[in-house]
Amino acid sequence: METAIRTEHLSKTFGSTEALVDLNLEVQVGEVIGYLGPNGAGKTTTIRLLLGLIGATRGRAEIFGVDAQADPVRAHRRVAYVPGEASLWPSLTGTETLHLLGRVQGTVDTAYRDLLIQRFELDPSKKVRAYSKGNRQKVILIAGLMTRADLLLLDEPTSGLDPLMERAFRDCVAEARDRGQTVFLSSHILSEVEALCDRVAILRSGYLVEVGTLSEMRHLSALQVEAELDGAVPDLSTVPGVSALEVDGNRIRCQVTGPVEPLLTVLTRVGVRHLISREPSLEELFLAHYGADGSEGGSEDAVA
Amino acid sequence: MRWRKREEVYGERRAALAVAVTTAKRAGWQGALWGLVFGGTIAASASAYAGLFPTAASRARMALSFQGNTAWAALFGPLRRLDTVAGYTVYKSGMTVIILGAIWGLLVATRVLRGEEDAGRWELFLSGQTTRGRAAVQAAIGLGVGFVALWVPTAVLTVATGMSPKVNIGIGASVFFVTSLLASAAMFMAIGMFVGQLAATRHDANLLGAGVLAASYLIRMAADSDASLAWLRWLSPLGWIEELRPLTGSRPFAFIPIVALVAVLVVVSIRVARQRDLGASALASRDTAKPRTLLLGGQAGLTVRLTRPLIAGWIFALFVTGLVFGLVAQAAGTAVRGARGLEEAIERLGGTTSGAASYLGFVFVIAAGLVAIAVAGQITAARNEEAAGHLDNLLVRPVARWRWLVVRLTVALGLVVVASVLAGFAAWLGAVSQHADVGLGDLLEAGLNVVPPAGFVLGIGGLAFGLWPRGAIGVVYGLVVWSFLVETIAAAFDSNHWLRDTSPLLHIAPVPAADPNWTAAAWLVALGLIAAALGVAAFGRRDLVGA
Repeated sequence: METAIRTEHLSKTFGSTEALVDLNLEVQVGEVIGYLGPNGAGKTTTIRLLLGLIGATRGRAEIFGVDAQADPVRAHRRVAYVPGEASLWPSLTGTETLHLLGRVQGTVDTAYRDLLIQRFELDPSKKVRAYSKGNRQKVILIAGLMTRADLLLLDEPTSGLDPLMERAFRDCVAEARDRGQTVFLSSHILSEVEALCDRVAILRSGYLVEVGTLSEMRHLSALQVEAELDGAVPDLSTVPGVSALEVDGNRIRCQVTGPVEPLLTVLTRVGVRHLISREPSLEELFLAHYGADGSEGGSEDAVA
Repeated sequence: MRWRKREEVYGERRAALAVAVTTAKRAGWQGALWGLVFGGTIAASASAYAGLFPTAASRARMALSFQGNTAWAALFGPLRRLDTVAGYTVYKSGMTVIILGAIWGLLVATRVLRGEEDAGRWELFLSGQTTRGRAAVQAAIGLGVGFVALWVPTAVLTVATGMSPKVNIGIGASVFFVTSLLASAAMFMAIGMFVGQLAATRHDANLLGAGVLAASYLIRMAADSDASLAWLRWLSPLGWIEELRPLTGSRPFAFIPIVALVAVLVVVSIRVARQRDLGASALASRDTAKPRTLLLGGQAGLTVRLTRPLIAGWIFALFVTGLVFGLVAQAAGTAVRGARGLEEAIERLGGTTSGAASYLGFVFVIAAGLVAIAVAGQITAARNEEAAGHLDNLLVRPVARWRWLVVRLTVALGLVVVASVLAGFAAWLGAVSQHADVGLGDLLEAGLNVVPPAGFVLGIGGLAFGLWPRGAIGVVYGLVVWSFLVETIAAAFDSNHWLRDTSPLLHIAPVPAADPNWTAAAWLVALGLIAAALGVAAFGRRDLVGA
């Protein structure tokens, strides 16, 4: 299978700050991958390296087998990029901006562009300076999607969009996936990533700390268990895999890492009246990597 | 505890004055720098007079040659007492300082009172410890500080020059002169405040203000062209400054309309700011437009589209400059004949002809400096495109970096060539209308002759952009200012002095007073090309850098 994105030891240093360290990542064609991390973790740096906008300190980045740093123009022929903050020319109208960006890209599905304008409810006759932040974001989103590029690099693309427009965006990404386009989605909106992505990569302080499908990551993570027992709660502290135990009368709440069987054996001895177990949400997985306050990596704002 | 409480009170006061402090800092720095430029211009004009016209006879001849020249008076204002250093200084520096001061005052005021609002920063201030009305009062105070920062260095340099025995202008007269010229800055600051409240964007406010400036200039132009229309001066803010007659018969009562205009506009602007909603304007803005995609087929067209106002402005400005050179060439050529200093300066530049051609050869070296400023503007536009993040939109698509920069530099070079040739053509039009004996071919050659130094500046600008993006604007304007400075003081050095070699403007021959120096021109072009090529290569290797 063709690889859409491949990075090998991709690293970037700004002065004494390591923005990205030894990133080794592969994204297959047709895959939708979520790229997560707190502010300053190195997400935008990764995307700017993939686009050749900044040079790698070391390592290599390929897009469809083309060295993105050495030959960005060739690499860009199959890429559409949507930044989180649209810096457009204020004196051009929406129509003019889309016309220009389409001509520069070289390929545009004009019927799809018109559909996108309708779907995102954009008035393209307005000048960019008259648009709200959300409407500017719509222009840059449409400019990226209308190309039907093989690879969509999306860097917090729904920033400033209302929930209705966010839903329209999800529909577009789902369509792109169905058409076989590859999507690299950097986002803070975990529900968006959870709904759209086949795989998730988690970045922390410039390091890739986790990559895999959501089900793989859930299997590796703790299961949430809540139970109401018939009798008094036995000593669960020595049961293998049990952590974060909370006891309230004859109710318990805990996390279980690994097989759940040892816990069930102990509980069934007392008698189980009610039991709920569920896999962690992406938010819980994400927070598990950073702590509930999300304080990890907070010192890197300058490199995002 | 007491100390901590004091600190808190101090902090609150500072927060409440944040707009005034911010505005004062910005306007103050700019004002001080322009003050140095204005003071230097006045000082250079006054000091040059004694050297250029050392004898009473040469001064009288020069004054006589301008007598009755209405074209000159229409452009520069009434010419009074040109046989004195004071009269010459007013003529030589007056209109320049008045116009530049007005433009600066307008731009700084619209930036503070509309640009900040456009950018959304005003909202941040207003969410703090202030109100719309108070913020406008503070902005006015900040602009006042900027005006004082402009006035002080201009006055100090002018007074110091006046104290020199060769110039000999009294302190009071110097202060009156400086205050008169800078009245334009004060008035257009107030006009900028007012149009900033009327227009929906800073861009529209600047257009309105520029319209007022153009109308003021044209009204006084008509007034100065014909004695029977002199009353028209009272209808123009620039005319009021002429009515002050600094150094040539001071009439302080003309300050009355100036002070009244400033006071009324400041009060009205503050009232409007207090009453209107944030972001609202009295004049509706055209937020929609029919798509015009003719130039939006690619990067080259986009460059032209985005820099169109700048390009059109420079082409117009150089055309008018050329026309003015041509219109006054005949009279000035006669004056040059009597001025040993000027003749020597032209000889140093390699000129041999006398009369109108000699004068044109001398002033076209100045035109070369103006073209170099146009080039610096193009490098600034390129850098701003990168700093604002607009360039990202192109470079994330199949656009090569080298191609983008080469196209930008080529468009800039195209501007230089077109503007220079048109300046030469306009000079010919002006010259033949005054029956000067100068050929079209010679003046087109004079126009083209200013291209090589501008090309050199463009190459250095491209190199700086490639190597040091955040410093590129400073480098290119630094080179232009340095070149001007060396050109201004060049008369003081002999033709072999090394300092002269550091100015690209002094490497060209004073065409049409002399034949073009093809060798020097080729060197300038070659060095410019090498620098540009290195800049393009460096840009291909560096990171994109934001503001």
